[in-house]
Amino acid sequence: MKVLDSQPKFAVKLNDESCSKCAICYSACPFEAIKRDPETGKLLLEIEKCQVCAICYSSCPAKAIDIIYYDINSLTSYLENAKEEYKSDSLVIMCKGSAPDFEDVEKLFGISNFIPLSVPCVGRIPPELLLKAISPIGIKKIYILACDEDYCRYERGSSITGRRITALNIFLEQLGYAKELIKLKRHSLKVKADSNKCISCGNCVFYCPYDAATLEHGAATFALELCRGCGLCVTLCPAFALDLEHWEEDRISALISELPKEKGKTNILVLRCQWSVFPKLDEEFDSNVHVIEMPCAARVDPLHILEAFQNGIDGVLIAACPEEDCKSKTGSKEARRSTTALKKTLSQIGLEERLHFCSVAPRYPESFYEELRQFKVRIENTCLKEARH
Amino acid sequence: MIITTQKPLDEILDFLSPYNSILIAGCDGCTQPPRGLREARTLAQLLELGGKLRSKNFNLRVTTLPKQCDSYLTLTTLQTQIDGIEAILSLACGLGVQTITQVLPDCPAFPSQNTLFMGSEIREDNTLEERCAACGDCMLAITGGICPIARCAKSLLNGPCGGSQHGKCEIDPEKDCAWDLIIKRLEKLGRLSALDEIRTPRNFGQVVRPGKIRG
Repeated sequence: MKVLDSQPKFAVKLNDESCSKCAICYSACPFEAIKRDPETGKLLLEIEKCQVCAICYSSCPAKAIDIIYYDINSLTSYLENAKEEYKSDSLVIMCKGSAPDFEDVEKLFGISNFIPLSVPCVGRIPPELLLKAISPIGIKKIYILACDEDYCRYERGSSITGRRITALNIFLEQLGYAKELIKLKRHSLKVKADSNKCISCGNCVFYCPYDAATLEHGAATFALELCRGCGLCVTLCPAFALDLEHWEEDRISALISELPKEKGKTNILVLRCQWSVFPKLDEEFDSNVHVIEMPCAARVDPLHILEAFQNGIDGVLIAACPEEDCKSKTGSKEARRSTTALKKTLSQIGLEERLHFCSVAPRYPESFYEELRQFKVRIENTCLKEARH
Repeated sequence: MIITTQKPLDEILDFLSPYNSILIAGCDGCTQPPRGLREARTLAQLLELGGKLRSKNFNLRVTTLPKQCDSYLTLTTLQTQIDGIEAILSLACGLGVQTITQVLPDCPAFPSQNTLFMGSEIREDNTLEERCAACGDCMLAITGGICPIARCAKSLLNGPCGGSQHGKCEIDPEKDCAWDLIIKRLEKLGRLSALDEIRTPRNFGQVVRPGKIRG
């Protein structure tokens, strides 16, 4: 992806002046996006390779890395405000990839009132924030919900977090704090198969990017330890025999049917891969723009798009990662393919302009918002044109 | 499997225009991609959207059945669902539409598909390719498992013809020359000499059209 001159802003920056050349970032980066000059020891960030997991940011002892998303200052002020808002001294930090509804978080940890903090990968949380949360902010108990280690979208985010928490708990206990003040749980959201509905078409077996599906005794069977929860099989299953935990077919349909429509305005639905855009903690849109986050663009179901149009949505924007950044191997590619096919069908009834697929990456913080701005203008024009006819 | 492609929505909307209450029936059988419940619901949504643009409000219901080419299954599955239904739109191949017509003679059945051919799904290439012509006198044992009737544009029995170019057919460079494949396959199997054998003419009367046999 070429960076436009008008958009020079990157999400991550490595500052030479404060860098101590310890190279921890170099060894921690799961994507080999940080290069080290063998002679000078100077560290260089290759932004094109960077997936903005911020493991480097949370590892850097010299604070030489700047990041736009969820930096320590914004997280600290979030916690300060949230402590008042939620009237709780329990904090739950969860990765978006494995975080179910808050109700399920309650069940997982057995707590009812907590401050929620949902981020793309818990590996981005600097240990310093956890200490700050305890003192001065005054959090009494921290719960961390990470993905299973091999489910982590950033490869090492979950395992690094595990090691950090072990070390922090020992440290805190030595200081006289309660044992296991920080509690870690791992969780993953995976496919659910109903063999009674399976028609043995083999779509899931062929398309699963992780070879988790097989056809046994005439029904699809999943090796759940291999499933990475992208939802591609669910979207492609012709018999509704598959579903994805937290992103169930009916749950998304219900979300779409309940969207409040703004009268006299063009209503936009964005189906957004949760790894393609890292929203601000207080991200807000105009009242006529609705966003539903997806585990991967692969879970974007043509049926849901059509349901949105039926429900009075004027335009549907799909935000996916660029194919080379897709956290589910082929997810983004397949999503583009199915959207193209649906657009072709929609063109038969003159609705193709209402659907748009875009590739955006969090390393270019403005790209999604620019796509959304352009799409809104286009949809407004399309609606105006149609109203005139 | 039977390869079908969806008809243009305008054509479907045209022939459904006299009806309001319509049952869209999927077929989980061999159509590819499987035209089951998901396709039925998708088509229902598209027709509703397309209908609205023509100021037409359909009352659409969806269902699916294991295979529409089975009269008993089709009758027993559909007869309980056609109360108040004025027409059935089938997602099956041409067989499905005709089975419905036979078992539910009072309810007009319409095709949502154009049925193309019997083919294999080559998943890796994302292609569906005609492989069998149902000729009634299978010669795959002689031709190395590759059918010249279905896969040669001229259905030649002694190819390749002069139009075979670098393994491709002159009518379409995207398509393989079946006889090129056959010769190479037989060579690999060491059975090329099988083609030297003089054979009696093929029995083109094996299936007297329209085909009908007792099960």
